[in-house]
Amino acid sequence: MRKNLQWKVLFTLVVIIGAVVLAYPPGTKIRRGLDLKGGIHLQLQVVTEDSINIETDQEIARMAELLKKNSITFERASKEVPGRYSVSGLLADQEGKTRDLFDEYARDWDHSFTGDRAVLTLKPLVAQILSDQAVEQAKETIANRIDQFGVAEPLIQRQGADKIVVELPGVDDPERVKELIKVTAVLEWKLVKAGPAADEAALLQPYGGQVPEDAEVLKGDPKRGQSGFFLVSRVSVVTGKDLRTVRRTTDEWNNAAVSFSLNAEGGARFEQVTGENIGKQIAIILDSKVQSAPVVEDRILRTSGGVIRGRFTNEEADDLVVILKAGALPAGIKYLEERTIGAALGADSVRQGLVAGVVAVLAVMAFMVFFYRLSGLNAVTALVLNVVILFGALAYFKAALTLPGIAGIILAIGMSVDANVLIFERIKEEQALGKGILSSISMGFSRAFTAIFDSNLTTIISAIFLFQFGTGPIRGFAVTLIISLVANMFTAVFVSHLLFDLTVKKTAKALSI
Amino acid sequence: MQLFKTPNIPFLKYKYIALALTVALILAGVVNIAFFGGLKLGVDFGEGTLLRVMFKDPVAVGDIRQLLSDIGLGKSTIQETGEKGREFQIRAMQVVEPGDSDDELIEAHQALADKIIKALRGDQGAAETERGLRDLNTIDERALTALLESSFPGSGPEAAQRIISYRTMSGIIARYPDLADLGLKPELVESLEAQTYLGSLSVRSRETVGPQAGRDLRRKAVQATVWALLGMLIYIAIRFKLEYGVAAVFTLAQDVLVTMSIYSFTSREINLPIVAGILTIVGFSINDTIVIFDRVRENIKIRRREPLEQVMNLSLNQTLGRTIITSGTLLLTVGALYLFGGEVINDFAFVMLVGTVEGVYSTITLSCPVVLYWQKLFKPKNVRNR
Repeated sequence: MRKNLQWKVLFTLVVIIGAVVLAYPPGTKIRRGLDLKGGIHLQLQVVTEDSINIETDQEIARMAELLKKNSITFERASKEVPGRYSVSGLLADQEGKTRDLFDEYARDWDHSFTGDRAVLTLKPLVAQILSDQAVEQAKETIANRIDQFGVAEPLIQRQGADKIVVELPGVDDPERVKELIKVTAVLEWKLVKAGPAADEAALLQPYGGQVPEDAEVLKGDPKRGQSGFFLVSRVSVVTGKDLRTVRRTTDEWNNAAVSFSLNAEGGARFEQVTGENIGKQIAIILDSKVQSAPVVEDRILRTSGGVIRGRFTNEEADDLVVILKAGALPAGIKYLEERTIGAALGADSVRQGLVAGVVAVLAVMAFMVFFYRLSGLNAVTALVLNVVILFGALAYFKAALTLPGIAGIILAIGMSVDANVLIFERIKEEQALGKGILSSISMGFSRAFTAIFDSNLTTIISAIFLFQFGTGPIRGFAVTLIISLVANMFTAVFVSHLLFDLTVKKTAKALSI
Repeated sequence: MQLFKTPNIPFLKYKYIALALTVALILAGVVNIAFFGGLKLGVDFGEGTLLRVMFKDPVAVGDIRQLLSDIGLGKSTIQETGEKGREFQIRAMQVVEPGDSDDELIEAHQALADKIIKALRGDQGAAETERGLRDLNTIDERALTALLESSFPGSGPEAAQRIISYRTMSGIIARYPDLADLGLKPELVESLEAQTYLGSLSVRSRETVGPQAGRDLRRKAVQATVWALLGMLIYIAIRFKLEYGVAAVFTLAQDVLVTMSIYSFTSREINLPIVAGILTIVGFSINDTIVIFDRVRENIKIRRREPLEQVMNLSLNQTLGRTIITSGTLLLTVGALYLFGGEVINDFAFVMLVGTVEGVYSTITLSCPVVLYWQKLFKPKNVRNR
């Protein structure tokens, strides 16, 4: 055996063994996509405007404070749109002072003056950073919630500027999961000034029909058995951020409930406020909906915590615990796309894909061996190797095998013999020109190579764009196609040539082709 | 073995016939799409909800249509997919006004799916649910484990797992005695029978795409196709000559259009996998084209004195054997996919089947004439253009 042949054989063996080790056993080494495994795919959009809105509200409050502190006279500071607010009723002789204040303390905002009015606009770059942070935070929060909920191998990815893709294998209750993800989960405890009342008018009657400056009107959550309207103070006693622990418990009527304890700071505040307000109601509010409004019967010690009641089912209580532990979303989200594939359909797809694959392989093998005899066997070996390498690469890159991916493999089987067909046809032509066997083989390979190279590369180009613009299953298809085209250059050209070198003797009189 | 001796078919003589056929096919497609509502957009491109359901007992398509008409959704497409009249694919048609906002639309689509599932279930199961029974055909593994664990501590997880995997394999649990074969304790099956019921319907998949995501996907599909064609044009122009790139892309663009025309005459819908299929056809068709151009490139060097047209014809004939054999093996695999690949991938397999045949036809008849035409158009003075 010639020396460079030894190296080629060794190299080929290493590649094959490597691929087998990586991919065996395929049942566990190859990650299956959602369409084969069953599960939920959600695409959602973060309403980044929400975070800009919150930022604007906070900025207005902070600025009003600052203006007062610096004894700058103004009438009111109010929001125009998210990301823009105005300060009106400014005095002309204080304009310079006001400008200096804006320059120093509101660096993220551009300001302009017209008459007695200043308009402050959030700088575009800052707005973009805020939006980006909101999406990133939302992703983290969702990941936390999913994690607490307990899903094996979830996939939570950002897509584009403000979208998040969530894939949950093995889960098939979309409503529950969607609810779990979507809840903004801002939890607050606020003192109740009045209520519950049947409607807003009745609620506000004692206040002359006007909502007092320091209060707001909130609705009860019908799901928690709370009907009517509440007038609560604007300032919250404690919020979800003050929670130390939360867990599911049962209340005195044996209904599911959620118990919580507070951190040191929140506990102290809670103790003080409850001590001062014995006999009054305190509302527990989730996303601006009153969950319950128990009467404070005694001072609640900072260490004792409390219980959220409200006719929860076990599942609802569990989900609330998950949500509270994972924290609040920085902005609202909306769903753009929802796909739920049942595990049974996925299993069917795998079965049918296998059948189609086996039929395809056998048909192509039979054809090649019938048509090209022993050389056909050579091509069949290359084909099998191609599939082995493909599986090895899928395992190595941890790429998910999807249903279109299976289709991609089956197509690759049909395609991978193309290179060999080109080569074999060329060898035949060379033989017809009266060349010897060995030189025909070597001419066949070298002459066919440019066509194989160019054609595989152009197909890879189209597959790359498919990968670039495709999502989920389609990406799986593009990946299998690309891998098998690259592997094809190796198996159909390098390995196949090697097989000829190894099997065709110099003294051979005829070639079985 | 030889398919045939190198033939001598004057392919380039048939270019006008081929061109006429192509134009006719594309025009027929355009008319069909514009006036007869051919080429329906699937759920991927923002048109509502797609449901796949499986019934416990066989149901007639007519009955399902009746149920859907009763709730005002008689226009939905209903397609029987599996065998024995138990599996169906239902595409709910849009019922919302076009003026509605994107958010409302996706909500409406989802509500629609819920409504359909409810209608298909009918009253069946309502009494059982009232009595506190759970549907064994929809319960998830977690809940089933908890249910079994409460009466059979310690054996809940394993039994639940077996039942769920049996349900996964068979699609739906038809009768309780079927569970006896799973090696479950008889008293466990009995207690299950007391605590659950077998719902008549299992939802195999449900997909809802909102208008915004649909527009996104549509844009991406068009972008992918255009960029792929452009990428190939550039690559071939570099490796060969500009006119070869133009010819290849012309051939491919007509592959896309003709395949879509033919597709528009079926009742199948355009979804993402169809776009992938069309791009794959493009990838395969370019293979054929390149093999021929490669041969032309090689033959030009040897046969310097012959006109390009003659060299091209020779190259087409020389590579014909390979073209037919390769397309043949490809057809074998695509055929396997079409026949055995299952319902989900069937549209994809169909488009591949059409495209593979069409790709061979276009490569042989159209790619070379376009090169010649382009040369005549832009380099008329140079007599011996290569």
